[in-house]
Amino acid sequence: MQTKRTFISTIIILIIIPLTILFGVYVLDDRKYYFISILIILYTLLPFFLIFETKGPRLRELMLIAVMIALAVAGRAAFFMLPQFKPVVAIVIISGVCLGAESGFLVGAMSGFVSNFYFGQGPWTVYQMFAFGIIGFLAGMLKNSGKLKKNKKALCIYGFLSTFFIYGGIINIQPSLMSEEAFNLKAVLTIYATALPFDLIHSIASVVFLYLISEPMIEKIDRVRVKYGLINTKKQCLSNK
Amino acid sequence: MKDYFNEAHPIISFGYFVLVIGFSMFMLHPIYLIIGLVATCIYSMLLSGFKALKFNIVYMIPMLILMATINPMFNHEGATILFYLKSGNPFTLESVIYGVISALMLIIVIIWFSCYNVVMSSDKVIYLFGKIIPSLSLVFTMVLRFVPVYKKRIQKIILAQKCIETGEVKGILNKLKYGVKILSIMTSWSLESAIETSDSMKARGYGLKGRTSFSNFKMTTYDYYMGIWLVINTVLVIVSYFLTNDSAIYFPTIQINTTNYIGYIAYINLCFTPVLLNIMEALKWKYFVSKI
Repeated sequence: MQTKRTFISTIIILIIIPLTILFGVYVLDDRKYYFISILIILYTLLPFFLIFETKGPRLRELMLIAVMIALAVAGRAAFFMLPQFKPVVAIVIISGVCLGAESGFLVGAMSGFVSNFYFGQGPWTVYQMFAFGIIGFLAGMLKNSGKLKKNKKALCIYGFLSTFFIYGGIINIQPSLMSEEAFNLKAVLTIYATALPFDLIHSIASVVFLYLISEPMIEKIDRVRVKYGLINTKKQCLSNK
Repeated sequence: MKDYFNEAHPIISFGYFVLVIGFSMFMLHPIYLIIGLVATCIYSMLLSGFKALKFNIVYMIPMLILMATINPMFNHEGATILFYLKSGNPFTLESVIYGVISALMLIIVIIWFSCYNVVMSSDKVIYLFGKIIPSLSLVFTMVLRFVPVYKKRIQKIILAQKCIETGEVKGILNKLKYGVKILSIMTSWSLESAIETSDSMKARGYGLKGRTSFSNFKMTTYDYYMGIWLVINTVLVIVSYFLTNDSAIYFPTIQINTTNYIGYIAYINLCFTPVLLNIMEALKWKYFVSKI
């Protein structure tokens, strides 16, 4: 599976993305940043979804993922009164750590997609899907390589950094892509500066939620996995102790 | 009010939105922008009535003004200088107009999406992608079902907890602890019941070969006509865009060519498709009623 994804990703990165950029530069006069960036992000989402499909239906795993997405969506809806103070990133990180990098990506991307059925779809959906997905994917990768421990402190630090830099970094770039002039560094920096308080609130929210819910949730997920014998539980349980 | 475009086949309506939203992200030409703006405003009002009009005015006009003022602060190109900023940079008419134009583009895309949200309901999305990406559509369906279920479950848990524990929860810290407790009860309940659901689905043969799914959508002749109509107009818009000199240049001075009449008509046809369809159906109805 790993090789297949690498194969698809290589084709996309080496052939399709450069072709799209060239198309943007020559056919569209290099002024359609927004359109091209949305296309490129869609390409990066594709290999994950394709791999997920080719694995065939593993119902139990699908269900766990669906539950985590539903919790994230319900969490985002429950806190609709507080702008930016959302538990989505926390739940995405927990699923990345517990269910693996690929499932983490899916939980992130799908919670972005589905929650916008309640909050309204827009061109930003694609960016949110990508940002949440990457946060979940990285959480899983770092956990696998042993750099991210499954304890509160490490998760809170990762939660803060990833929300602030990955989510904020990706989401705030899009207003400056929207106006189709030559890229203006000053204008981009202004947007980042004005978005700073929102990003800070969002990051603090992630830390608070991770601090409160990470331990009970990880415990519950691991318990269910042991109880129903899901995805190489033995190895992981041993490594936890 | 009944919207007839809503009853078209999901492929047609999804394709339609991909086309118009895609074109709206491209077109910086003022005539195309005006066509798009009028079409979306009318269609969004047909779909959600007065609410849409309020939304368009309350949110879109401030955005227009904001972008029209922000753009010239950072963009100093353009020949017509209105005045000089404190930093010594010129404030030009061209960049104000360009700011308005790009704000209009953004507004049009957002209003198109508000129409998309009404027309492309989740069942249509599932129907469209169910065959291409079955696992993900299953996840999608499940999530849409889980969210309302979880809301009810939380109520049940809170009621049950009230029976066990006596007295009110006081203090912020205790309230937080209480919230976490309810969430963790909720998590284990949902996880276990989800696994049970998956087992019972498997027992009923989910994922076996040769199983079909039920859907309520059928391609009618009407849908084929609409598809052809969309394709013809799209081709006309694209071809005429490349063949005729239809440029809109904003810097250093504003030069706008308005000679691509075929393109304008094709774009009007494309953007107004749902509105035209509704008018046509209304006329048909009147005609038949008058015959009785």
